[in-house]
This record gives sequence, C-alpha cells and structure tokens, in this order.
Amino acid sequence: MKGIQTMIKELWNFLCSLKLAIVLASLSTLIIGAGSMVMPAHPEIFGDLDRMTLTNWYAAVASQHPLLTWWLPVAGLLLISLGVNTLCCFCDWLMRLRSRWRKTGEYLIHLGFILLLAGYLWGAWAGNRTEGLRLPPGKSVPLPAPEGYALRLEDFRALTGPGGRPIDMISDLSLLRGEEVVARKTVRTNHPLLYQGLVVVPLSFATETSGFRFLRPGRGLVDLVTGETLELSGQERLEVLDFAPHVLRQSNGRVRRIGDQLRSPAFLLELRAADKQIWKGWYLLREGLPEALEHRLNLRPVGPLENRISVVTANYDPGAGLAMAGGACLTAGALFAFFSYYRKRRRQERPEVI
Amino acid sequence: MPQSDIPLLWSALGANALAVLFYLLHVQIRRPAIWRFAFALVLTGFAVQTLTLALRWFAAGYLPVTNLFSTLFFFSWCLAATYVYFELRYRLHASGLFVMLVNLVLLAAALQRDPAIPALVPALDTPLFTLHIVFSFLGYALFTMAFSLGVLYLVRRVTGSALIPDLSKLRRLNEEAIFLGFIFFTLCMVFGSLWAYLAWGYWFSWNIKGVWSFIVWLFYAGMCHAKFVRRWQGTGYALLSIAGFGVVLFTYLGIGLLLRSNHPLG
Repeated sequence: MKGIQTMIKELWNFLCSLKLAIVLASLSTLIIGAGSMVMPAHPEIFGDLDRMTLTNWYAAVASQHPLLTWWLPVAGLLLISLGVNTLCCFCDWLMRLRSRWRKTGEYLIHLGFILLLAGYLWGAWAGNRTEGLRLPPGKSVPLPAPEGYALRLEDFRALTGPGGRPIDMISDLSLLRGEEVVARKTVRTNHPLLYQGLVVVPLSFATETSGFRFLRPGRGLVDLVTGETLELSGQERLEVLDFAPHVLRQSNGRVRRIGDQLRSPAFLLELRAADKQIWKGWYLLREGLPEALEHRLNLRPVGPLENRISVVTANYDPGAGLAMAGGACLTAGALFAFFSYYRKRRRQERPEVI
Repeated sequence: MPQSDIPLLWSALGANALAVLFYLLHVQIRRPAIWRFAFALVLTGFAVQTLTLALRWFAAGYLPVTNLFSTLFFFSWCLAATYVYFELRYRLHASGLFVMLVNLVLLAAALQRDPAIPALVPALDTPLFTLHIVFSFLGYALFTMAFSLGVLYLVRRVTGSALIPDLSKLRRLNEEAIFLGFIFFTLCMVFGSLWAYLAWGYWFSWNIKGVWSFIVWLFYAGMCHAKFVRRWQGTGYALLSIAGFGVVLFTYLGIGLLLRSNHPLG
C-alpha cells in the first residue's frame, strides 16, 4: 500500500515537474519550428489550413502527404502532454494556494494556456468552417453547421473608396433557426455576427443576375424574376418559375444550365388559364419567344437585373467560448504577474531553484 | 506624411549615432562625464523619436505601424524606451553601447524605406490592432534588451571588464527583461487572437507568422521556467536569450523577407 502511494506521489511529481515542462516546450518549439519550414513551399497542402478545421484538413489533405505533415500530429501530442503537465502544475498550486497565492498571476497564465488548448482541440474536433458562402438578398441559405440554422441577407452595401476600390462590405444579416430569427446583425469588417460559437464575417461580394427587364409595347417596362407573374388577356397568366443566366439547349431539346455568368439567359415559364396548365417551357432570350407565347405577348429585352450578393465566412467553433475564457485568464494573469513582479522583488521573494 | 518627419528622423538617427560614438569613447576614456553625455544623447534621440511618432500618429489618425518602415521605426522607439527604463532604474552606464548599436541599426534600416503613411485598410481599423502591435513591439524590445544583456553577460564573464555590471546584476536584469517581454508578448497574442476571430472568424491562424509567433511565445514561456533550474542560470540563460533573439528576428523580419505570409503585416 505504501509502495503504491509512493508510486502515485512520484508519478504526480513527474507530471508536475518543471523540467518536464521545459523539455516539452523545447521539443514543441523545435518540432513546430522545423516542420513549419515546409509550409510556405507547399501552399497546395498547407494553404487550406485556415479554411477548414484541423481534423477535416488532416482527413482531406494531410493524410495524402504524410512525409510533409507528420510533424503536426507529433507537435499536437507534445502540446497535449504540455497541457497535461500545465494542468497538473495548476492543480498542485491550487492545493497549496494558501502559501502560494502570490503566484496567482503566473498560474492564471497556466490556466489560460490549458483553456486555449482545450478550446482549440474542441473546435478542431466538433467545429466547421465554411468559406465563400454566397448570400443573395432575401433568400435563406442553410448553414452546414450548426444544424438547423440558416442565414438570410436582408440588405447589402459595398463601401467604395477613391477610384471605386471596395473598402468594406456591409451586410444586414438575420440568423434563423427554422423560421424564427434568433439573431440580427449588421456585419462588416471587424464586426461579425456572433451566436453560440458561430461567427459570420464578410469575405467578399459578387454580382448575380436575377432576371431581365423587358419592354411590353403599350404597357411599359416589366421586370421578370423568379416568382413574378404576368397577367395576359383572357384570364391567362404567365408565371416565371426559374431564371438561369447561362444555359445551353441540347440537341434533344432539353435545356442545361452552364454557369452563373450572364451569357445566354433563359426563363422557365408556365402559362396557365384558371388552374389549368396550358404550356410550360424554357424561353431562351437568344432564340426569341417560344411559339406558344408568340401571339399572346410581345416582349423586348432591355437589360439584365443585377443583385449584389454578399459572400461571407461562417465558422462554427464550439470551443470558442472556452478559448475566450482562456484569453481572459491569460490577460488577467499577465496583468497580475506584471504588477506583483516588483512587489515580490522588493520583498526579496526569490523562487525556489531546483 | 508631415514634412517635418524627415529632418526629425535624421536628427534621431544622428543623436543615436553620436550616443554610440560616445559610449565607444567611454570604453577608451573612462570618465563619467562621457557616459552621461552619451545617455543625454540617447534621451535626446528618444525625445525626437517620440515627437516624430506623435506627429505621425496625429497626421494618420491611427498608430501608423502598418509597413516595414513604420514597424522598424516603432521597434526602435520601443527599444529606446526599454533602454531608458533600464538605464534610469539600474544604471547600466557604458553597457548601453550594445543596445544602442542595435537601435542604430533598426533606425538606419527604417530610413532606407519609404516613410509615407499608407491608407488604413478596414481590417486594421480597430483598437485591437493597436493593442496587438504595441504589446508585440514592447515584447520584441524587451527580448532584444535580454539579448543585449545576454551578450554583455558572456563578455563580462570572458573579459571581467569593470565597465560592465557584475554577473549577478546582469543575470537578474536578463531575467527581468525576459519576464516582462513574455508578459507583453502574451498580451500581444491575446489581442491578436481576439482581433483575428472578429475579423477572419478564427482565433489561431496557421499562416507562417502566426505559427512562429506561437513559437516565440512557447520559447520564452520555457525560458520563464528555465530560470528556476540552477544549471540554466547565468551562462545558459544568456545563451538562451541570444537564441531567443534569433527566433524573434526570424519571426519579425525573416518571414516577411524570405518567405510568403498572409499575415496582415507580412
């Protein structure tokens, strides 16, 4: 029994060892320093590290290049060991708090490091990163994570500087859980939407063609976008079911979408009388009105209708709160240690040297 | 950029160069009046640098530390401030030669660059950036001070020169510089991470500068522990301070000049 107690005590002393901390910190420094030298030379491997979580990156990219990335799991193991060592030191300090309270600053820094490490690992394991999420105005776009949430762009403005250079992107965003709006925020640089580990920051913006403006001789201008309905004579209605900026009609007559650039625009239309469908098909502007519509309607294309869409980064990091707490501990610890440093020295308090 | 900057910058360089010359003279002719005059020149140079920094800050509307000229200039200002603090508090006297030599190199390197103040990009327009940059360069300056003290420790140990403070004082000052540098660099990392989270959506970036900043933090965290191990005290600590400065230099200059990084400051 005494032997086991001695063994546990020795193990605890080893885990709390200052020398172990120095060895682990030195090894981590060497491994990360040497390993990181390959990073700038291989952007195709390491360039995506900030675009996805570490675990996703490891599964998708690093596992394909083990010779260039082996140092990362080794560094991870060393840092986790350092975290365990730091945690043991912190617990050891807590148990002797009455005699060591003057070291509060230094041990808050220890706690901060543990929380940061734990927060990072949690985020890397359970988090998700989505870069380049395109948000057209008024539409709800589901988020990959957390599940059941969607973003809706209410309004978007691009701020331009001298020469028309874009300097900021301002998006009025709503975060929805189902149909319920759970958060609203005007997102711009340095002002993200934050909600329970989700952070949405502006990335870029783009222009999207949402429809076309036409002239109906004798009736003025009409904008055709998805969901729009035109009243025709004799109780007939023409509904716009879809719009595509670039399509191709194949030899079998079917229409295929090619891309988002405005090249060969087309509308999917449905002609109805009361509740009955009379005709449904594609109207390619390049081909002119389909035969079924020619004698019912006269449309002359005027120009495209363009929307600015906001492109954002939506990252979900469940460990962010823990990391924030770690940052707060580091700050408090650093300030406490700073102000107590000279006081301790005035009192001739010298730490134990081993 | 204010037109008054150019003569002010050259005046600061002149004052620092003269201070170095007088410190060198003091090595040959050991009269207190000489190091006092050298230190007066250091104070003059520091005052001119402070005025230049204030004018540039006022003209820009933000702390202008956004390109290589301004970071070298700010680094030099922080190092001068650190040396003035150590000199006033601990009377290092002629030992200032080495620190001021490093400071002269920084200032001379800055003057080779374009001093124009660039337009502030929106991502940098936040108090978090200012805090990040101020604590970062205060940390760098203290690590540079520790490097200088480490070199002095080794010189004193080899030569036994009476011009340099005794070994125990140098050891104590070196430990203080490392500790304060680590505290400031910790604050730099915290504010930088918070800023990155709000601006880019992640608080730790794997860009090469972010990785090496973490290495700097880890290295000096190790040093803060190593001072409690007897065999690492004194010479070992002086050698570690010199090695640490190498890591700092690589992180600050080496990455920007030799490698590609997408860190906002290169």
